[in-house]
Amino acid sequence: MGGVEDDEPPSKRVKVTSLDSRGIPYSLYLRQRGCSLTTDSMARLLATEGDDEVVGSKGIIKKVELVRVIAEALYSLGYSKSGACLEEESGIPFHAPEIDFFMHHILEGQWDESVAVLHKFGVTDETIVKLASLAIFEQKFSELLDDGEIMEALKTLQTEITPLCINYERVRELSSLVLSPKQNLVNGTSSKGSKLESRKKLLDKLRKLLPPTVIVPEKRLVHLVEQALVLQKDACKFHNSSVGKMSLLADHQCGRDHIPTQTLQVLQEHKDEVLVLQFSHNGKYLASSSGDHLVIIWEVMDDGQVLLKHRLYGHQKPVSCISWSPDDNQLLTCGGEELVRRWDVALGECLYIYEKSVLGLVSCAWGPDGKSLFSGVTDKSIIMWDLEGKELECWRGQKTLRNADLGITSITKELITVCKETVVLLFGWESKSERFIEEDQIITSFSLSEDGKFLLLSLWNEELHLWNIDGCPRLVSKYKGHKRSRFILQSCFGGLDHAFISSGSEDSQVYIWHRLSGELILTLAGHTGAVNCVSWNPTNPHMLASASDDRTIRIWGLNQVNANYNGRHSNGVHHCNGGS
Amino acid sequence: MGRVFAVILEGKIYSCKHCGTHLALGDDIVSKSFHSRHGKAYLFSKVANVTLGEKEERLMMTGSHIVVDIFCVKCGSIVGWKYETAREKSQKYKEGKSVLERFKISGPDGSNYWVGHGAHFGGSDADDV
Repeated sequence: MGGVEDDEPPSKRVKVTSLDSRGIPYSLYLRQRGCSLTTDSMARLLATEGDDEVVGSKGIIKKVELVRVIAEALYSLGYSKSGACLEEESGIPFHAPEIDFFMHHILEGQWDESVAVLHKFGVTDETIVKLASLAIFEQKFSELLDDGEIMEALKTLQTEITPLCINYERVRELSSLVLSPKQNLVNGTSSKGSKLESRKKLLDKLRKLLPPTVIVPEKRLVHLVEQALVLQKDACKFHNSSVGKMSLLADHQCGRDHIPTQTLQVLQEHKDEVLVLQFSHNGKYLASSSGDHLVIIWEVMDDGQVLLKHRLYGHQKPVSCISWSPDDNQLLTCGGEELVRRWDVALGECLYIYEKSVLGLVSCAWGPDGKSLFSGVTDKSIIMWDLEGKELECWRGQKTLRNADLGITSITKELITVCKETVVLLFGWESKSERFIEEDQIITSFSLSEDGKFLLLSLWNEELHLWNIDGCPRLVSKYKGHKRSRFILQSCFGGLDHAFISSGSEDSQVYIWHRLSGELILTLAGHTGAVNCVSWNPTNPHMLASASDDRTIRIWGLNQVNANYNGRHSNGVHHCNGGS
Repeated sequence: MGRVFAVILEGKIYSCKHCGTHLALGDDIVSKSFHSRHGKAYLFSKVANVTLGEKEERLMMTGSHIVVDIFCVKCGSIVGWKYETAREKSQKYKEGKSVLERFKISGPDGSNYWVGHGAHFGGSDADDV
């Protein structure tokens, strides 16, 4: 668009507002270009623009622009009397009267007059003038065709559109329309009633085309306010609940009371260190595994209590990998380089055992269609089975490591795994494509966001690295603070819109970072052993579960101090933060 | 304890005598002429799967060095030490490298080493002469 040209050295440009970088005073804009002032009214506009009065404590808002933007807001809300009153009282014209004439000409179909006025705006960017003229002539052309004035339409095409020499392809298209007028593609309408509609559309298009100094963009003030609200929301580090429509009356700032900070339950069913846990996709179940070889399925009740549902016996080694089926009715588990078991969640029974003779299976993941599963093997290959155990595919070569997790994305159909100490492989199992992410530290574990677009790597040097894998993989943020020197600690995404990152730590605490800013916002104390794994309930942003070497699982929730709560029952023990 | 993270090496592997965790590769041996309290020790350019202790200044056979003890990440037994800083210029080449005591590791062929084979009581360190 017009306004400031990019090839102009910055020193020559007027200092611009931080909100609207194209909004230099019109007068200065003209002076730089060596344009002469044209009409009286334009001069009046410029005279007021020469007034450099600023508004606001930072001195970056020009009063003239603020008034013009408010006037636009009044007009677009339908308060034209107020708008006119504002222009009168402030002495600041909303826009030059030429604009009004221009808009009038367009709506009345007075094409030649509108083009003439267009040239009086003093827009010196030739391209914009051409594009605007072209849009007007195209409308003229289209309406002539609709009215059956073929000769006139042709004349317009030849004498007015073609000389603008912008887009030869377009000229050809329009010529073909002359031959078959029924396919009027210019604005897709041909009835009289909607002529006004299509002219209004043209006006909208022209408004967007012309520089904002000539005509204030529609709903500019609303746009600025929305921008401010979005920034407030993004900056709100504890934002974890839908707050409905945000208020303009005060800055948005959530307190900590929307993030899980208090232990609501301590689950003590495991007899050994709890290694891994994961909520189901629907947030109704939690599966956990322990050094005692047991896998437990817990149910999340409506009141938020977590109760034991099934103990799954069968594994001979501690399970290190848990995968919920897409419909959450089944569970895959594997660990200790042994085999993979598939369980029915409702019944708590083992439905199938997958093995690879001689070799061991190191990881498992459900296929997105729920009818297949993938598994990493000790010989570094990856296998794909159908539910009945038939081997569908086997990819050899250095695809995975013996201590690597296996992730899967349903949209890009990629398997994600660590194939070398510092390298992550994203393997498209249907397309056979391979993408890599290289780090300079050893990768100990990773976690995928639910939408499959972000990958969180846990590195040897106690850093978490967040990568955007949608398109070309790029490093987005780093998170630090937790302790990791010996164990595999699983981290996770969580909270409303995945606004938070959480990880366990060898200092027995749960760490929570604000994802966008990278800031560590909370550490939750309570466990008395290393926290090996955390999982945030995907459907309840206020529930977080942690697994620890102290043999317990803690369910964290909102601070209940001020809430009206009766006692808790059975399984869990109600604890205060830090209690034993 | 939780799930210990240990990288898996390939090649001629020296591993922890107690738990079998891979510690280093034969290709990374810089010198076999080192000594510890328990006898022979090897200097490796790099080792894996160890955690580091506190920095200490120690007087060794070749002079004063700042070292950290290194421990097997899985079982926690001490397996040797790593040179952080060497005071003498001639010993600078050791910086960043680690010594694994032969008594604490199993060799690539599974062989072990017993105290008494040339134990060097009263001194640790050495270098190629």
